Amino acid sequence: MNEDHPMDDSAIASPEDWVRLASNDGYTFLVKRRVADMSGTIKNSLDTSGGFAEAGTRTYRSQERGIILQKMIEYMAFKAHYSNVGPKEEIPIHELMERMPPEVVLELLVAADYQEM
Amino acid sequence: MSRRNNVRGPTSALTEFLKENNITPTTIATRAATQNQPIAGPSNSEQADVEDEAENPTRRKRRNRAAVTSGYDSDDLDEPESPVKKKKTSAAAEKSKAKKTAKKNEDSDHNPDNDAYTALSKAFRGNKPPNGSIESCAECEKEFSVSQYTMAANPGPGFWCHPCAKKLGNDPFKKPAPPRKRKAPAAKRTIVNFEERRFPTLVETCINIISNHIDDIEAFGEIGTMNMEAISKAISKKRSLNSENVQLFYGAENTILTLYDVTKLSPTSLITLGHLNPNLTTLRLDYCGLISDEVINSWCSSLPNLVHLQLLGPFLVRAPAWVAFFQSHPQLQSFLITQSPRFTLECLQALVETSGKTVTRVGLREVGLLSDEFLGVLESLSGKLSYLDISEPAKSCSDEAVNSLLGAVGSTLTHLNLSGHIELTDDVLHSGVLPNITNLNELSLSNLPLLTDEGVARFFSQWSNPPLTAVDFSRNPSLSTDSFIELMNHSGEGLHSLDINGWKDVSGKALENIGTQARDLRKIDLGWCRELDDFIMKAILEGCKSWLSEVKVWGCNKVEGNWVHSGTRTKAKILGIETHTSM
Repeated sequence: MNEDHPMDDSAIASPEDWVRLASNDGYTFLVKRRVADMSGTIKNSLDTSGGFAEAGTRTYRSQERGIILQKMIEYMAFKAHYSNVGPKEEIPIHELMERMPPEVVLELLVAADYQEM
Repeated sequence: MSRRNNVRGPTSALTEFLKENNITPTTIATRAATQNQPIAGPSNSEQADVEDEAENPTRRKRRNRAAVTSGYDSDDLDEPESPVKKKKTSAAAEKSKAKKTAKKNEDSDHNPDNDAYTALSKAFRGNKPPNGSIESCAECEKEFSVSQYTMAANPGPGFWCHPCAKKLGNDPFKKPAPPRKRKAPAAKRTIVNFEERRFPTLVETCINIISNHIDDIEAFGEIGTMNMEAISKAISKKRSLNSENVQLFYGAENTILTLYDVTKLSPTSLITLGHLNPNLTTLRLDYCGLISDEVINSWCSSLPNLVHLQLLGPFLVRAPAWVAFFQSHPQLQSFLITQSPRFTLECLQALVETSGKTVTRVGLREVGLLSDEFLGVLESLSGKLSYLDISEPAKSCSDEAVNSLLGAVGSTLTHLNLSGHIELTDDVLHSGVLPNITNLNELSLSNLPLLTDEGVARFFSQWSNPPLTAVDFSRNPSLSTDSFIELMNHSGEGLHSLDINGWKDVSGKALENIGTQARDLRKIDLGWCRELDDFIMKAILEGCKSWLSEVKVWGCNKVEGNWVHSGTRTKAKILGIETHTSM
């Protein structure tokens, strides 16, 4: 275990790869890498140039429960889409806000802070 | 410009051509005048007058040459108008550029008359008779006086009087519509982008949702106290805590309230804080710059159970308010403030008189008026004081005062912070700390430049206190190997936190001892310890494996992070390696 074994398949990680985000209560989500990269922590842990084990399996185990992880992914997808839009387009933040139920928003806040989002 | 005599010298082919085709300055001017009425404004006439005489010969030559080479049908004098005009004034261009930059007239950029490229030669503008002279109107034949706004008659020569000009639909005052210049869109956009395009973070979005739903507190579900702490930190990070969403943290049954950034809470909100949390015993507010006398006075009655108060930045509160507060709270146990230029000796006396029997923790960090007298007052707290922080004063206290204070209260102290008292010397250690303090856990003596290596070494070798858990001797560049060895010998086994940032001369060999002597360290700051290198780091990381969570090595040039390759893995954060951006 002391040597570094080279990672065979993901020497170069393309943004179009699929990665897996797993919640702590058994839900898994498959998302594109570029969506997952919207979170600082997830990006770092799945980054193949770091030494983390997750990069090889392309799975990120989150400490959050399923619904929280799902809402975070919704946000990340939203952000990934609107980051590339031209400067004249409006970003419909309200739509995003409507999708976040107030019941979970506090937990979501703590999770978002941890994930650097 | 105009030929005053009939002498004709040799002319170039171009001049001949123009003459033959009857293209004269006058014709062009008339056409120009009808197509493009001059702007109502002084600029034109001034320019026309000045530039007339000077450059005529050369300009005309170039002009003519340009007209011919443009290759237009000479009979059809309308079409080549604009391009001919453009090429005409290459010489005028230099002149008018200088004039233009001097004037910086927005209109002149767009006005073809002033546009360097398309402006007519200034000679042509003299076509209109001088202002004030009497002319006959081309339309109604009445006489009128020529003004700046007189328009040239469109078909044929002559000018219109003002009523006819208007009647025929030409507004004399209308400026020629300037061609819309396109501002470089790229340049404009970068500015707009910077301000408006920042994609909101999820944290901000959540906070907005919270603020929107602040009235439906029930909708938030079960919130444990531990979570509240995290939420409070998350909201405070971006300074998002405001009067609305702070309500989330209030509760009649709350006894502890910690808010990490209350910059945006107005004095009124802070008063409300007191009313809505009547059972508070412990209150900590960071960045509370807006706390005013009113707030403190209100708290005198609204927070009767308060015994622990910690404020960062209450600089607006004046002495009488502090005194009133102490008088209303005779059972304070801890009073820690940072940054107040208005906390006077009287205030401290009031504190000591009223809560002298109960107060155990006193913190007066960065209190501008701190002086030896303050220390004298604190002496009466002997037998009870466990936490004393009088660091970073505006003016250092003296050895004697400190020694005297330590003599009085030292025996019970567990935490002492004298950082920033730059006039203290080794004497404080030997006569103040050594004889009097025997139960200390945490010692901070940062930035005391008069301490000597030998003095500190001797101190640690002789001190009978049990090992310290936290030591901060940062920014004392004269301390070095001897002190370090003695420090390790004395406290190594108990240390959880070690800060020797700035001890630039500590030898590598001494540093290696950290791994062997101080295995329980959680946090180390070895900034600017130049002898630190990868081997020593490896030894430290392996020795302190069980507890280490953070190591700072800012300014240690020899550290490169190569221990990773040799297999040393650590869950500690290593901050400050020069060649890494993050680790």
